[in-house]
Amino acid sequence: MTGGEGTGNAALALTVNGRRRRIRAPDAERLLDTLRWRLGLKGTKEGCRSGGCGACTVLVDGRSTLSCLTLTHEVAGATVTTVEGIGRDPVGRRVQAAFARENAVQCGYCTPGFVVALTGLLRERGPKLPPERLLEDLGGNLCRCTGYAAIRRATEAVCREVG
Amino acid sequence: MAFSLAVPRSPAEAVRLLADAPPGGAEALAGGTDLLLDIDAGRVAPSRLISLGRLPWRTLRRSGGDLVIGATLPLRDLERDPRLPRDLPGLYRAVRAVGSVALRHRATMGGNIARSSPSSDLLPILLALEARVRLVGPSGPRELPLPELLKGPRETTRVPGELIAAIVVPARRPSAYLWQRVRPSNDISQVGVAVARRERPPYWRVALGGVWPVPARLSSVEAILDSPDPGDIAVELAAQEAARCAPFVTDKRATEAYRRRLVATLLRRALREVTVP
Repeated sequence: MTGGEGTGNAALALTVNGRRRRIRAPDAERLLDTLRWRLGLKGTKEGCRSGGCGACTVLVDGRSTLSCLTLTHEVAGATVTTVEGIGRDPVGRRVQAAFARENAVQCGYCTPGFVVALTGLLRERGPKLPPERLLEDLGGNLCRCTGYAAIRRATEAVCREVG
Repeated sequence: MAFSLAVPRSPAEAVRLLADAPPGGAEALAGGTDLLLDIDAGRVAPSRLISLGRLPWRTLRRSGGDLVIGATLPLRDLERDPRLPRDLPGLYRAVRAVGSVALRHRATMGGNIARSSPSSDLLPILLALEARVRLVGPSGPRELPLPELLKGPRETTRVPGELIAAIVVPARRPSAYLWQRVRPSNDISQVGVAVARRERPPYWRVALGGVWPVPARLSSVEAILDSPDPGDIAVELAAQEAARCAPFVTDKRATEAYRRRLVATLLRRALREVTVP
């Protein structure tokens, strides 16, 4: 929806992982549901659905965003990157490789959120960032297998490569 | 659950849409990180959300001695302002305390104030910085000291159709904000203590969050701190007085007794942080 008055099920456009998508969605639909159920991109996970776990993190115009707490119509026209598209980004590719190399994946449910959030942080902050700060800024992502030691190793490895 | 969304392009249009709605029928949507949770939980059920996302309030500017924070500026943009950590260290720490990076990419200061949570991490430091709030509404703009806007949990004194447009704080002020939580990241503070030091008497402003339905300043503590550089005794007396400002709430996050200890400890540390370079 673009005008002042809501219509309930308006059309909008999103660029998702490099592809322009035109969809219709109810005004109340969350970006998480649009991605998973309307566009079939199941890599983005639903965890707590209340902004507490980070599993649903995607990039919206390059900024990490909780897709469970974002209305799809609020980001109409934006560029969205999900974990399916993160490997097209050179930084995202390195993050994926580091997670694989360091075995920073146990059950894997939190992994898309971590990979997307870390890619967003590295792109936003640029090089020369201290790894402690990076880890602090990943605090919004939870791993219920508590595989944090490996995630930390992967993060520090990417930090060395990119920084 | 089902609501319609309107996306006005001007503040006047947003005000009109909100003012024309039946009471309780429409809610202003800023970042949505708190409102959408309440809608999901069924605590509010607006039939219409008025998005503030396209209004020209994603701004940050310094004017005279003031920092003017646009109501819909994402908190992450405020946090990334290069001068903020040095000029307003307390506000910087408070902004970093809100949710996670991904949450702060959408959450806004206007939304945080309008939602007026008892455990807001922003309200205590804004009170300590003597923030003023600029509003626009059906009968024009007005500016209020923050305490006059806060009414209760999730309640402000805004009139129907009135919106927060900007928040004004001093551009520089020695300040600190300390919190305690179960988890350091992306959790809700059990207690938040904010202090700010003015250049002239009265030197200190002290405010608490997480302990009452509405965060508030501690005037009796401020009165004890009558020097810009209080010694150990004054700091200790202030900490003890702050703990006496109970009753504090007991809830699932902490007991009142624990909160009293936190208030004293965090206030001691916050005062030292500002006075000891």
